[in-house]
Amino acid sequence: MVNFLKKLAGIDRRIIYLAVFLATAVPILTKAILKIEPLPEVRKAYEYIESLPEGSIVMVSIDYDAASMPELQPMLETFLHHSFRKNLKVIMLGHWALGLPLGQQALEEIAKKYNKKYGEDYVFLGYRPGVAAVIINLGKEFRNVFSGDYAYTPLDSLPLMRKVRNYKEIKLLYGLEAGAVGDSWIQYGYARYNLPIILGTTAVMTPDYYPYMQANQVISVIGGLRGAADYETLVGISGQASIGMLPQSVIHLVIIAFIIIGNVGFLVLRRAKK
Amino acid sequence: MKKEVPLAITFISGLLLVLALFIPHKPFGNLEEIFNDWFIIVSGFTLLLGIDSLLGYNFHKIKRKDKDAPFALILILSFFITLAWGIIEILRTPEHNPFSPSSTFSLYFYNYIFIPLQSTMFAILSFFIASAAYRAFRAKEINSALLLVSAVLVMLGRVPLGQDAAPYVISVIFLIFAVYFYAESTGITETRTKLIYILVALIFVALIYPLGWVYFKKHIPEFADWLMNIPQMAGKRGIMIGIALGGIAMSIRIILGIERTYMK
Repeated sequence: MVNFLKKLAGIDRRIIYLAVFLATAVPILTKAILKIEPLPEVRKAYEYIESLPEGSIVMVSIDYDAASMPELQPMLETFLHHSFRKNLKVIMLGHWALGLPLGQQALEEIAKKYNKKYGEDYVFLGYRPGVAAVIINLGKEFRNVFSGDYAYTPLDSLPLMRKVRNYKEIKLLYGLEAGAVGDSWIQYGYARYNLPIILGTTAVMTPDYYPYMQANQVISVIGGLRGAADYETLVGISGQASIGMLPQSVIHLVIIAFIIIGNVGFLVLRRAKK
Repeated sequence: MKKEVPLAITFISGLLLVLALFIPHKPFGNLEEIFNDWFIIVSGFTLLLGIDSLLGYNFHKIKRKDKDAPFALILILSFFITLAWGIIEILRTPEHNPFSPSSTFSLYFYNYIFIPLQSTMFAILSFFIASAAYRAFRAKEINSALLLVSAVLVMLGRVPLGQDAAPYVISVIFLIFAVYFYAESTGITETRTKLIYILVALIFVALIYPLGWVYFKKHIPEFADWLMNIPQMAGKRGIMIGIALGGIAMSIRIILGIERTYMK
């Protein structure tokens, strides 16, 4: 018995990998959706967007790439559904060049569902290098950074962009963050220009943005897959994040089980050594 | 001169930007804007430096017939295929953009090669994280035990099934601690210490119902929020303030030319 307990301290990693695979794959295949109670911070973000008057201009920043897609793409898609349903005008740009097509594809696809017109209801600006410099200069004049949209159409020939000179016309920046670009949005966009910001972050980045939320420097933070599922629930969409809640719950429990098993083995081993 | 010129440029640029923040009038007022424009241009050129470094490093590997040479060759081929494909699409598409919706680059390369590759790389992390959590979260001493318990509570509090599972998980953890302390007490000869160990074991057993089945069953999400909002945030703030102070100190050292590693 003691020998068996000692073995628990050194389980072969392949067994752990197999357990992780099964604990993720099986619940995904069931496609079951768990009932969830949205977190207060997600509700706050949702309510802020709800409170924006029709026709308000919102800006989306794509600061992630395919690696963070499972968490952040549902947040983007839900936001676009939410915005177009409320007839908000959407401007999209980004600081992660390789992630921007993910944003553009979602924007085109969802805008089409709501019969939105490019240039009037939404615009895709694209990418410019130099994160902080781009954010600061956009606050002065959009045309200092983007002379045209992604297809080089001059900004003044797009009806939506004719209304926009700088952040004064932007009612919300919705930043999807897999890295530190969110800090720059807060430090330059909010601190210098008072830009209202909601951030959607990967779970691993979420704690980094909590201090800004508590200091009211961002309106709210939608964190990780759970945040995305909460937002989907509030908007009334059964998307990928909601489907992801069951696998995430199961995998958390599996990891906890392994931590407990490992500690039983460790404590028995330590006692035996004494 | 090789050292003095970069040092002088750094000193003057740093000083001018500090002045620009405190004197928002001409000629200092628009200095930041000018520097930002330069920064955007220079950032663009750093891409070229990156490409040069990447290709140089991998060509060198092939030349040396390194054991990684096949991978270096794949990287170089992929680089030039991507570049050529992108340029063709710039010329071909009406928007002159390789990522435009009508572009084959976007459709085939980005959607069917790049996204699956990058997603797979990141997904593999879940296996390593599970394995690392199993190996690293060991109750070696009181601090690591606290970290372990906090991690478990946040993991439970942040998922929908966590609330239902919390009483069982808390019961198991507390029982393990109770058994451990009781087992330890059997080897102790001094009566006072022995009694303390037994008392701690009994406290763990006594806490199972009120904590696990009453409090955490109802309030684990709130408790996880409290952990994130108070202790986690306090630590995070300390780290952030430390980083900011370190950044200021490093900036002063660079402006004054004390820190010169960027010239190497």
